[in-house]
Amino acid sequence: MQLFIQSLITGILLGGVYAAYSAGFSLIFGVMGVVNIFHGELVMLGAFVTYWMFTLLKIDPFLTIPFSLVSMFVFGFLVQRYVINRVVEAPPMISYILTFGIHLIIAYSALWVWTADFRTVTTSYSGFNADIGGIIIPYARLATFGLALIVVVGLYILLYKSDVGRAIQATAQDKEVARLMGVKVHRIYAITFGIGAAITGVAGSLIATYFIIYPQMGLPYTIIAFCVVVLGGMGYIPGALWGGLVLGVVQSLTATYLNSGLSGAFSFILLFVMLIVRPAGIVGKGIVE
Amino acid sequence: MKRLCSGLIIIGLAVILASGVAMAQQKFRIGCADPLTGTFGRDGNLVKDAYTFWADLINSKGGIEVKGKKYPVELIFLDDKSNAAENAKFTEKLITDDKVDLILGGFGSDSVFAGSAVAEKYKYPLISGAASSNKLFERGFKYYFATLGKATEEVRGCVDLVQILSPKPKTGAIIGSDILFTALAAEGFKKYAAQNGIEIVYSELFPITLQDYNSMLLKVKQKNPDILFVGSHLMVAMKTIKAMKEIDFTPKMVAFSYGPTVPDFAKSLGKDAEYVFAASEWAPNLPYKDPLFGTAREFNENYFKKYGRNPDYVEAASAAGAYAMQIAIEKLGITPPVKEEDRVKLMEELHKQNLTTFYGVVKFGADGANEAHPPVVVQIQNGKLVNVFPKDAAEAAPWYPMKPWKER
Repeated sequence: MQLFIQSLITGILLGGVYAAYSAGFSLIFGVMGVVNIFHGELVMLGAFVTYWMFTLLKIDPFLTIPFSLVSMFVFGFLVQRYVINRVVEAPPMISYILTFGIHLIIAYSALWVWTADFRTVTTSYSGFNADIGGIIIPYARLATFGLALIVVVGLYILLYKSDVGRAIQATAQDKEVARLMGVKVHRIYAITFGIGAAITGVAGSLIATYFIIYPQMGLPYTIIAFCVVVLGGMGYIPGALWGGLVLGVVQSLTATYLNSGLSGAFSFILLFVMLIVRPAGIVGKGIVE
Repeated sequence: MKRLCSGLIIIGLAVILASGVAMAQQKFRIGCADPLTGTFGRDGNLVKDAYTFWADLINSKGGIEVKGKKYPVELIFLDDKSNAAENAKFTEKLITDDKVDLILGGFGSDSVFAGSAVAEKYKYPLISGAASSNKLFERGFKYYFATLGKATEEVRGCVDLVQILSPKPKTGAIIGSDILFTALAAEGFKKYAAQNGIEIVYSELFPITLQDYNSMLLKVKQKNPDILFVGSHLMVAMKTIKAMKEIDFTPKMVAFSYGPTVPDFAKSLGKDAEYVFAASEWAPNLPYKDPLFGTAREFNENYFKKYGRNPDYVEAASAAGAYAMQIAIEKLGITPPVKEEDRVKLMEELHKQNLTTFYGVVKFGADGANEAHPPVVVQIQNGKLVNVFPKDAAEAAPWYPMKPWKER
């Protein structure tokens, strides 16, 4: 029983990690309909911001979060403003190809600059955990879980309570009408992408403290983000949390009770079944076209 | 002016190309298809560094000396992106397009498995210093050689080590990623555990793409083994340590087949790397030497001077492989361009070779595996790799049992 509870909690915390780095993917897809294939590279860049600030300047990884937030916002804003906006209204295939190209450019440039070394941020408190009656809760994962909640709630507030948020929503619902109402659609796109990149970068900062980071780590993150977003409902932000939790718990229980080889297979079976049975996601609020 | 410039550029290029053609006859062009990016990118670059170290050293002396004349060495690396099929393709490209004189093996059993099949077809002897899966030696190939022992043998020391530990551990768990080399290491752990009377309470192979190890290790922790054996590469080893600490799992000892000997391991994990055991094939304090590299210690020091880090055993094994080829070439008096009959002779000579190098004795068996090499065990103590087994090569006693994470 204790093993079950432990595995469940480990799964929930893993789900928090998934949700934290998938929310941005959901936002970008929901507003622009762009399936961002270089999403994993945003995680990688955020992780490297933290790694370098920690290694070179001895700044605590948690204090580097504002830096990865701001730098990734700027990065995302510029990429959308000057690159993706040029094709955002073309058929979706064009944006797949473009973002795939950007994925390659970022991954290989990073490889060239930073080499293929595997790195990780090891602080004096790395791996510390709370032991509650034999149930282990690693603090760094708990912090990421907290971050996922903050991100989802924060995005919700931003989208529903602020002018920019309303403009983003209007654009997502009908960009032509939004344009007629005086919304600068391309500018809204750039801001949205910036926000998506910023929250993803922050997730990367936290990931650097418990996962291994390297320039080519990105693609698996993109794939998981895709699974999470499909499970939770495409374009529905709180869905990232639901999708992340379901995926994390399923993977954890499979790895604990069956074997870890099946945990990957189960994720994709789940994805497959969801797409057929409930394409709008677990809570049924995703955008289905 | 523009026309003059482009004219000059064309002339310049022509001169470079022409001299390149003329030069090509004067030097050994050696190709290597090696993973420089992707999953094994880091490891593949170690192999590249090792061959480059050898080539630069021999070139600083004017080149390989054959019949009194010196022929410099030129290395050509192609990146197989950690994809075995690409390795075969690039090995073929090196042989048929680039028409290299000789080839050397890259990193990783899967890549080398594919590449060496092409080398066999074209009768190019291929020596690898970074591939050791048993399957490589079971194909009846004549042109494949390895300076490492077989994968299942490499981990022998890690298990035999229990003989000198007290109290003697009784149970063990084995995990490994499901690729050829690490799966064989897991098999080796199992084989030698049985010989040493260690009861295996759990074993599992997991996908190398597994992102999170916590849930898998929870199950292992539940079985409470004295020893955790891990069939690993560098990344697997790093992830395992991170996860063990997060779920607060401390067996009495943890041993890896590969990973902790790469300096990045201790560098990135810091104090968490302490107490970790790993299989090794070489250590700088072993009493071997040769005329090119000097003693094992000198190799280590010169390597540090060049790259600012100590060599891993895979790098020592790769450099020794290149050196074994060089000695055979010198003995046979082969000059570039190397023809097919020369390569056949080279293959025969390598099978006969019994060479002492800074890395140890290199003596290839009929299946191409190095028969003469003893497995070594190292442990990370105070941030340094220290030889702890076998006893005659040991620098220090093993730290045992492992200190629980919370007491460090």
